[in-house]
Amino acid sequence: MSDLALLVPELILAGMALALILAARRIQETPVAVVGTVLAAMAAALAAGWVLSWGDKTGFGGMITLDGYSQFFKVLIAATLALTALFSARSLEGDQVPRAEYHALLLLSSTGMMLAVSSHDLLPLYLGLELMTLCSYILVGIRVERPASNEAAIKYFLLGSFASAVLIYGISLTYGVTGTTDFAAIASALSKHGTGSNLLLLVAIGLVAGGLAFKIAAVPLHAWAPDAYQGASAPVAAFLAAGSKAVGLAAMGRVCLAAYGSEARFLSVVLAGLAGLSIVVGSIIALSQTDMKRLLAYSSIAHAGYALLGLVAGTGEGASATMTYAFFYVFMTLGTFGVVAALGERGEKLDGYRGLAEQRPGIALLMLLFLMSLTGIPPTAGFAAKFVVILSAVRAGYMALAVLAVACSVVSAFFYMRVAVLMYMNGPQEAAPARFPAAVFAVLAVSALVTLIGGLSPGSLARWAVSP
Amino acid sequence: MNEYIGIAVSFVLAGGIAAAMVALGSTLGKKHPTSEKLAPFECGNDPFSLPMGRLAIKFYLTAILFILFDVELVFLYPWAVVYRALGSVGLVEMGVFLGVLMVGFVYAWDNGALKWQ
Repeated sequence: MSDLALLVPELILAGMALALILAARRIQETPVAVVGTVLAAMAAALAAGWVLSWGDKTGFGGMITLDGYSQFFKVLIAATLALTALFSARSLEGDQVPRAEYHALLLLSSTGMMLAVSSHDLLPLYLGLELMTLCSYILVGIRVERPASNEAAIKYFLLGSFASAVLIYGISLTYGVTGTTDFAAIASALSKHGTGSNLLLLVAIGLVAGGLAFKIAAVPLHAWAPDAYQGASAPVAAFLAAGSKAVGLAAMGRVCLAAYGSEARFLSVVLAGLAGLSIVVGSIIALSQTDMKRLLAYSSIAHAGYALLGLVAGTGEGASATMTYAFFYVFMTLGTFGVVAALGERGEKLDGYRGLAEQRPGIALLMLLFLMSLTGIPPTAGFAAKFVVILSAVRAGYMALAVLAVACSVVSAFFYMRVAVLMYMNGPQEAAPARFPAAVFAVLAVSALVTLIGGLSPGSLARWAVSP
Repeated sequence: MNEYIGIAVSFVLAGGIAAAMVALGSTLGKKHPTSEKLAPFECGNDPFSLPMGRLAIKFYLTAILFILFDVELVFLYPWAVVYRALGSVGLVEMGVFLGVLMVGFVYAWDNGALKWQ
């Protein structure tokens, strides 16, 4: 029974999801679902911190682990869940999405995410990632009346199934080489092989890295992201951009360090390739976007590349740099999507931002803060996050990659600041947006606060960002 | 390998005789076909049909609900085999599992999936 205590946060989320499903027909018109989801997310975050006080532990035959790394990401996932649920209200009303089911899917997807970040074995990792993606396929297509939404869901589903197959193939090859799926056992089996001697193992590692690269939308496995984000409602796109990416990075970090650590040199090459391609392709294609969610999708692809820079080093310090990046990225991207979602139809197109500063100066200022953070301009968290990952790449000897990252940061300033220019230097063309609900303000306030604190005191996370 | 040669020979012989019977029957025999004679003999549905045939979408929902119970049974069988070894913890765990599955069923029922309109 003590094993179950390791999964208290997951159990809380799953329990709330079941309760919402049971009561679905009776709470459709009430705010019960959103309140329940936010409460469950808070309880899960508290529980994640509380179980950590027992010290590091493993359970379920070594499959599930409890350490600072897993609990860090669990708190982050809980925050993503709560913030997404809070700013979903408007898009749910507009499209008559069943609320109870929507929130239950968010909860179950988060349960899968939490399971994935706490697994210490390839099989529960796969299981968690599958639970996460299966729920997100439905979330992307939940606006059944819209053909674009259905199309996005089908595309995401087909590509996602392919990526899952790649991942499970890598897992099975790893099992073939080492005879185990447990991370520690894989590491000890690999230490007996010579580094780089087993071609099959390198293929296996490449396939696992590829499967995980899909979850974080790193080039060349990024093609689903722009279509899925565009077709999904803004809150769901935010949930994918923040949650799926954080979990993919967490899994990638754990797999690289705990399981395949002895092949660090090969992994560095693979990750450096993924990171470099993502940064360049994401930043350049984003330049030509006119749809806000597509723009943010390409931005998220570029950010996946930046976050991977930390893992390239293959050290614990590099992994904590990636953790810091993931943490700040989640809040700044949720803040940006929060503004997009609150503006409704107007927020979808880049032109909708014309003259926003004149009509809603406060909102425009917050949007400017998030955009600055996404670009990486001090004093925002985006700068602190980019600084630590680029520093980590330099320390690992990837000087060219670091220069490329800085250069592409400058390129990205163009498309982020274009939105700012539209907001501040153009006259309004549309009627002023309706007043934002209080819940959306809460999301924006929390995200802005984290973005500012992270920028002003970049070391504030260092205590918690402990690598596995 | 030697013990398999006999089996191979009997396969070849059986296949050869069967093929010879069919070939002789279809070349030497007289044919007076009628539509009744050409119909598949007592084989249920028409085995060949064009793919334009329509199936009510309601069957899809029923099939999904069927999978719910199917999965349940798949897990119940191995559980029943080791039931004594698991003891009361196993009983409670299976109860929780069935409960979770039932939530899905209740949801479907509640939302009218079982109404045949």
